[in-house]
Amino acid sequence: MANLISINLLAIFRDKVFHGILAIAVIFLLIPSISSLSMRQVTELSITLSLSLLSVILLLLSVSLGATSLWKDIERRYTYSVLSLPMERSAYLIGKFIAIALFLLLTALVLGAVTCLVVWLSSGIYPPERPILWSALILCVIFSALKYIVLIAYSFLFSTVSTSFFLPVFGTISVFMAGNATQQVYDYVHSPAAKALSPLLKHAASFFYYLLPNFSAFDLQINAIYAIPLSLKGVALPFIYFCIYTPLLIVVAAIIFARREMK
Amino acid sequence: MNVIEFTEITKVFRGKKGFIVNALKSMSLQVAKGEVFGFLGPNGAGKSTAIKILLGLIRSTAGSARIMGVDVNECSARLSVGYLPENPSFYDFLTGEEYLRFVGRSFGMDPSLLNSAGDRILRRLDLWEARKRPIRGYSKGMVQRLGLAQTLIHDPAVYILDEPMSGLDPIGRALVKEIIRELKELGKTVFFSTHITADVEAVCDRVGVINKGTLLTVDTVASILQRGVEGYVVQRFLPDGTTDRQLVPKSDLHTFIEQSIASRWSIERIEPKRKDIEAFFLDIVAVEQRHETQG
Repeated sequence: MANLISINLLAIFRDKVFHGILAIAVIFLLIPSISSLSMRQVTELSITLSLSLLSVILLLLSVSLGATSLWKDIERRYTYSVLSLPMERSAYLIGKFIAIALFLLLTALVLGAVTCLVVWLSSGIYPPERPILWSALILCVIFSALKYIVLIAYSFLFSTVSTSFFLPVFGTISVFMAGNATQQVYDYVHSPAAKALSPLLKHAASFFYYLLPNFSAFDLQINAIYAIPLSLKGVALPFIYFCIYTPLLIVVAAIIFARREMK
Repeated sequence: MNVIEFTEITKVFRGKKGFIVNALKSMSLQVAKGEVFGFLGPNGAGKSTAIKILLGLIRSTAGSARIMGVDVNECSARLSVGYLPENPSFYDFLTGEEYLRFVGRSFGMDPSLLNSAGDRILRRLDLWEARKRPIRGYSKGMVQRLGLAQTLIHDPAVYILDEPMSGLDPIGRALVKEIIRELKELGKTVFFSTHITADVEAVCDRVGVINKGTLLTVDTVASILQRGVEGYVVQRFLPDGTTDRQLVPKSDLHTFIEQSIASRWSIERIEPKRKDIEAFFLDIVAVEQRHETQG
């Protein structure tokens, strides 16, 4: 497994797409100047911009690495040589997933450190009204990474059933959009405002709420921007959710992949 | 002991629009330890399908296959196998040396043994100079040789080579044949597919001919060549310097030699005139096609 993880990490570090996406990180340098244009809430704006930029980079990495990694191996016929080695297909899949997840976590930590630096610089020039809650900022970065790791697990699931890159790429993007909306839809259909909706529609909304990921649970941006302290429950529940949901997706993906024919 | 064993293997591919392809039809075949077995057939005959079943890349619809007595659906069956895929493609972001290390580690090789074996094999396959270059910069022949290198790295007992000579220049082909002969001397078992009959004649002990998913025949190369003898070209001369060259039917050779000696001819050379493996292969495929047409 360690052999597979290291080879896949090497693949990512030598990938030109990764270099291109990381180049976007240069935009971080512009954030203090852009934030200062607001004339007020400069620190809050720099936190917002930094976290949003970090989120965009992680999303691009999740789609480009997660949704194309397995497909590329099959398309380029690497799977014939690798899967004929004495290793279980599940080990191959999990090794690949762990490598991408580790890389995403590492990227999030590095960009998180850059975010902290940018916010510190902005707050030094224009001191905020409320003190910065660094713990919330760091947790926000970590949970953002966890959210995208869930998304990568979905992209792997799509890759195991697909013969082209369309389903992995567009399926992953669709899950990302749906996952960000599930909580709002669920809240709406169960609110008094949705009384007129048919029970069937409400049941369908509840079904998809439990089936699709709930990315709102991982969103701690408000806490980070406005320095609102986090409760233990607010951190523990999404983490437990991540620890159950992600392995479930990967197990299903591994079962499907083990049955797939490498024609 | 049979190192490779197919028992009543059937493989049916089902297309999206409901069409069915019978890639392998109840094929049974055994390859013994130390044998070099050539799996001969035209393109689309089912050679690669059979090999992919052996490697667990696809599952048979019916029947079973074993390597060294282990069911091919078990990952451990591949521990004793070195496999060269058809038109191989390897992680092209790695260098040749890195790829060999990756393969060696996958087989649980000891690092020091892996280093020495890797260096030796890279030199043997003329990849030493290119070992630090990414595989994406390799020529087709170099990739093919790297493919062969990764089958040799862990010194397996069984070699499964899918079209090993494809894409190689004459020097590369000669090298592959030489390596297969060396493996035979070491008592290794080699199972390789090809549609080039000359390759079979050059290195194989036995040959199996497959066409349209059916294994048509299995025989030793020596026996095929012996059966294929149609006659002999006899070159002879008289004491006065007169020379003569005649094609003598197989059944008349004895009589012809006796008559020649009695007539004071000296026999200079007797060469068998025989059908080669290609003629044998074409005959079998032609018979099969005639049966199909009549059926």
